[in-house]
Amino acid sequence: MSDDMYDEEDIVLSELSDEELTQQMHDDLYDGLKEEIEEGTRILLDRDWPADKVLSDALVAGMTIVGIDFRDGILFVPEVLQAANAMKGGMAILRPLLAETGAKPVGTMVIGTVKGDIHDIGKNLVTMMMEGAGFEVTDIGINNSVEAYLEALEKYEPDILGMSALLTTTMSYMKVVIDALVERQLRHKYIVMVGGAPLNEEFGEAVGADAYCRDAADASETALRLVTEKREAASG
Amino acid sequence: MSQHSPRRRSGGRKAKRAARQQVQTEITAFIERKIPYFDYLDEESLSLIEHNADKVLEEIGIEFRDDQEALGILKDAGADVDGERVRFPSGMCRAIIQASAPAEYTQHARNPERNVIIGGDRTVLVPAYGSPFVRDLDQGRRYATIKDFENFVKLAYLAPGLHHSGGTVCEPVDLPVNKRHFDMIYSHLRYSDKPFMGSVTHPDRAQDTVDMAKQVFGDDFVEQNTVCTSLINANSPMTFDATMLGAAKVYARHNQATIISPFILAGAMSPVTLAGTVTQILAEALAGMAFIQMVRPGAPVVFGTFASAVSMQNGAPTFGTAEPSIVLYAAATLARRLGVPFRSGGGLCAAKIPDAQAAYESANTLQTAAIAGVNFMLHTAGWLEGGLSMGYEKFILDIDQAAMIKILLEGMDMSENGQAMDALRAVGPGAHFLGCEHTQANFETAFYRSIVADNNSFEQWQADGSLDAAQRANLIWKTMLNEYEEPPLEPAKHEALLDFINRRKASFPDSNY
Ligand code: B1M
Repeated sequence: MSDDMYDEEDIVLSELSDEELTQQMHDDLYDGLKEEIEEGTRILLDRDWPADKVLSDALVAGMTIVGIDFRDGILFVPEVLQAANAMKGGMAILRPLLAETGAKPVGTMVIGTVKGDIHDIGKNLVTMMMEGAGFEVTDIGINNSVEAYLEALEKYEPDILGMSALLTTTMSYMKVVIDALVERQLRHKYIVMVGGAPLNEEFGEAVGADAYCRDAADASETALRLVTEKREAASG
Repeated sequence: MSQHSPRRRSGGRKAKRAARQQVQTEITAFIERKIPYFDYLDEESLSLIEHNADKVLEEIGIEFRDDQEALGILKDAGADVDGERVRFPSGMCRAIIQASAPAEYTQHARNPERNVIIGGDRTVLVPAYGSPFVRDLDQGRRYATIKDFENFVKLAYLAPGLHHSGGTVCEPVDLPVNKRHFDMIYSHLRYSDKPFMGSVTHPDRAQDTVDMAKQVFGDDFVEQNTVCTSLINANSPMTFDATMLGAAKVYARHNQATIISPFILAGAMSPVTLAGTVTQILAEALAGMAFIQMVRPGAPVVFGTFASAVSMQNGAPTFGTAEPSIVLYAAATLARRLGVPFRSGGGLCAAKIPDAQAAYESANTLQTAAIAGVNFMLHTAGWLEGGLSMGYEKFILDIDQAAMIKILLEGMDMSENGQAMDALRAVGPGAHFLGCEHTQANFETAFYRSIVADNNSFEQWQADGSLDAAQRANLIWKTMLNEYEEPPLEPAKHEALLDFINRRKASFPDSNY
């Protein structure tokens, strides 16, 4: 939804220069305009932009601005949801192309709340921010057993396993899941991130997670950092 | 001014110092409201909300998840069960509730003087519930332990303004998850003689609560009377989960009370508008309470409402703002129209420490809840950080405010003494009232005396160490804990209780989830 005030001239995306178009896409992401983002993505691809460049320069760069303004309290949750949704529209077009060229997407994550825990508002916000940052997130919902996590990890092979818990009676289950990964010699394959209000830094360390994140913005920043670090370590 | 009242020797300084400084011991089991109710909504709005809630129940329905038995009970009672989605014909829930749910009930305490009546014109003030963290000025914020739990039970026992020992006054994170309920219920039964709340995190734990109560109250007594009131949250929007349903069934079958609480962070768990939120709350509460009546007609059930709004900027719960107060007022009226007791309120805030934000947010919800006519006021004392932390100093600040609620609700004394015409005549224009007979007869109890507020001169305050309210509260809770004495529990009952706990604890391995 754009304000009438700013919508006076009809913008024809295909008539814009590359630079104008990416700028416009940043604005369209900010305004949560999914169709416009899809159109912009196609135009850039038609102009022979490689998919990973469209992803980084048009989409991720735009969502970074969204992230900053969310952090600063200028954008509200429903607006960020719209923006993330627009971003997903662009991603859907890029995904097959990225796979073809072997270019890595920003990152992938499986996320769910642990067994016994149905608190999911925080998890949903984390998903929103991660998708906004360009991650492909598979949300496996609430109340997940070790088996459910393992099954999802096997199926989606994500970079990151995310677990959320809001109860002191359920948060210890994170250790059960991590121990199961260790036991099956799978721990090294995934970055494990944990969060939820009753957790803290020491708890994250104690259960053997790679990171504890205090909020959704922290989660997406930490995820980006950890995925980059892991990829650099693997290639270097 | 002439004063000829006969003066008797009262024991001089020693006696007076003792009397004025002692912790108040007189028992007020609960508050009896003597003032009119304040209805925020007019008849038209109330009927419209009731109508819309019926539509929600009839058209959208409520999910009862992972509990086949519950679905069977609902079906047998005439609900339309489609998978886990349960739809109720218009008016069905209301009719079931009104046919058998008590308008009020007595929750027995192990000290009968502290029995509370929940419902009608009564208000029962209850400590905060559920925090994984505690905080105090000396040690800051940390995970709660069973020691903290005991401390808060003791403080609640000593607080004249609190009528109830509460439930999970903080979460003893140092104990195994599947056994900590034994130690929590034990603390309530041993360190306090006020009524208490039971465990709800597993049906077995609800059963253990009932069985432990039987060791102290006797088997028959528990089956025939209500000795605990427990918190069953709806998993809003429009869902009840197996954990809560399981615990609720156990309590209902033993005639123990449950509070069916839609626990709403508006904007995330309900629509962003107030009318939409209230409609959803009513629909969820109706479905949950009707379910309890299907399990056992006549089992006490309370209409609960926990209203907060989320910050649209980050999703965090907010407290002490106007919108949840409006929701609370509306829900209270709807509960009265339905004819069941109502739970809400408390000293709610999002503040991290007992600062100005904590004070004003808590005062806002506390006063609103009192005026609105809350019968069971959970979270009256200690609440910080949206329920993540239980504060020792905050607890003291809150019990001070709580003690005032009684005065607020008991109304204006319109007796001859209250009218004070004698005093007005005796003093007349231009003089002062401090020494007149009427004042002499009434001054001690005339005005609420805060245990925390400092009303001294600046210089006096400075000479006393320039302490702020939290620092003064810090001294108070320490003194209270120092002076605490256990309310005696019959040794045979105590033995039986410990024996039960030890046997049960030994019968299955510890687990931390
Ligand atoms: C993977 O990486 C990551 C990274 C970051 C991650 C992450 C994962 N996950 C979260 N983050 C982080 O980023 C998010 C966004 O910034 C943040 O997420 P949060 O979830 O912290 O923040 C959200 C945006 C907003 N916050 C919330 O949504 C939680 C708020 C509080 C008030 C809360 C709510 C809303 C609810 N509750 Co519940 N509830 C409480 C909560 C107290 C509190 N102030 O936290 C708490 C957690 N609950 C509690 C309790 C006791 C319970 N609750 C229960 C039920 C519910 C509702 C269903 C009513 C509802 C949840 C609805 C829903 N769909 O989620 C029951 C249990 C249900 C169950 N089996 O899980 C029940 C047992 C109550 C009962 N007697 O019925 C308490 C915990 C006690 C304990 N032992 O730890 C509690 C502290 C409140 C209290 N004082 O009682 C960060 O933590």
